[in-house]
Amino acid sequence: MEGRKLRGMFGSQTKPETEEGQNTMSQAGPVTETSSQAPGTVSARRAKTLEAKGVNLYYGDFHAVENVTMTIEPNKVTALIGSSGCGKTTFLRSLNRMHELTPGASVKGDIYLDGEDIYGGGVDPVAVRRLVGMVFQQPNPFPTMSIYDNVAAGLNFNAGKVSKGDKDAVVEKSLRGAHLWDEVKDRLDRPGSGLSGGQQQRLCIARATAVSPEVLLMDEPCSALDPVATLAIEDLIAELKKEYTIAIVTHNMQQAARASDNTAFFNLDESGKPGHLVEIGTTEDIFTRPKQKETEDYVSGRFG
Amino acid sequence: MPEIRAEYQEELKALEGSALGGLDLVSAALSRTLEAIEHQDIELAQIVVADDDRIDGRYLEVHQALITLLATQSPVATDLRLIAALLHTLKNIERMGDQCVNICKVIPMSGHEPPADQEMVKLILTMGTHTKALISQAKRAFEERNVEMARDMVERDDVVDELNRECFQLALAIGDDADQREWAMTMLLTARAIERIGDNAVDIGEQVAFVVTGLFREFEDASHPGANA
Repeated sequence: MEGRKLRGMFGSQTKPETEEGQNTMSQAGPVTETSSQAPGTVSARRAKTLEAKGVNLYYGDFHAVENVTMTIEPNKVTALIGSSGCGKTTFLRSLNRMHELTPGASVKGDIYLDGEDIYGGGVDPVAVRRLVGMVFQQPNPFPTMSIYDNVAAGLNFNAGKVSKGDKDAVVEKSLRGAHLWDEVKDRLDRPGSGLSGGQQQRLCIARATAVSPEVLLMDEPCSALDPVATLAIEDLIAELKKEYTIAIVTHNMQQAARASDNTAFFNLDESGKPGHLVEIGTTEDIFTRPKQKETEDYVSGRFG
Repeated sequence: MPEIRAEYQEELKALEGSALGGLDLVSAALSRTLEAIEHQDIELAQIVVADDDRIDGRYLEVHQALITLLATQSPVATDLRLIAALLHTLKNIERMGDQCVNICKVIPMSGHEPPADQEMVKLILTMGTHTKALISQAKRAFEERNVEMARDMVERDDVVDELNRECFQLALAIGDDADQREWAMTMLLTARAIERIGDNAVDIGEQVAFVVTGLFREFEDASHPGANA
């Protein structure tokens, strides 16, 4: 099966090839640890590093992002900040090969996941997207599916046959990991669309983590949420980085300051010019002593 | 693009002006203090003590306004460093004012016509003049964000420290007269207080370096002299 082949290709260190007849999911994630853990806790593990080298992104002839080289460190939260149109979301979408889904879009340069070129020949973009999950700005649970099926959706799509018992365990672990289990455990069969915005976003995070990705990409995950739901997601992000590598695009600079370990600032010289990476550093450095004046002006809110 | 958050920027600028204006208040207090020492002017000393409320008031007022800016404007980067430095500097200014008060409180203790040693009085007035120059230099270095000027204060402060040691030697050699020894003791307290004002000025210089470079280092570590940062 195509998915199995690429899984082996990417996961040789942390995800050994499954043996014949054994269930993929119970091998892939620490599902069996769930029962021995206190609810809501996650065990730390080393996730993978994403490295962009000389990445240029295009929409047809339009050069959207120019020559980005940066590292998204494992088990850390990297915030991508910058004004609208600076290419940060486009760059984020290139990290799990979603950029190419836009008609006419193209990519130059290399992106490595723990040294493996995700744009390499023969690499299945679907396999990349399972290892590098995405959470979007608007919570987008499958509206007609139950809460349970929303979380289990990725398992059904990706992993072939999964036993009911294993699926139950993954759903519970993922919902606990997303700080949602206690709120929904008595109504798992109800539609996901009946939840509040903040709960829906946590449901989407549970859905993204259910397939045991290495990296979570988040595109303004809180911009549609109220402040309390926002802080709940930020707490969750802090918890999730123990297991995953996280990159988050945010317009909220205080969110970047609060929730991230590293911050990358993108900017563009003028409208119509490509966006580029101005500076990346620890969040502490970017917000207390940025090196570039451009960064200083942006984080201080001096220019729009 | 037009400058945005103009009101916040203006307020921060005004607060910097108010905080550094505290150095002018301290400088005026020190001038009066030196005059009170020179002429043994007890009334003038009392005015300095009473007037210290203005320095304290400035401290509390600007401090509160800076806390409000922190709470409402989420300053970062240079703005954040400036606010942190101003909070620090305000405390230094308040301490400098208190040192003037300490001096002025001991002036009446030696009476209207104390057995003054003119050489020692002259030394203390010289210390005072040097220290006033340090206060001006601290203010100017801050306003101009001039790290070199701030760093230069260390050597100028060494002059004040040396004069303080000379005062000590004079006091040791002042003789056996009990009244004169008592007077010399109060003058040592005075010299020590002026020397501390100089140290506070140097501390403000360190804050200038912090605002500009983002690195907070003491120019000179009193517990490791000679090991310049």
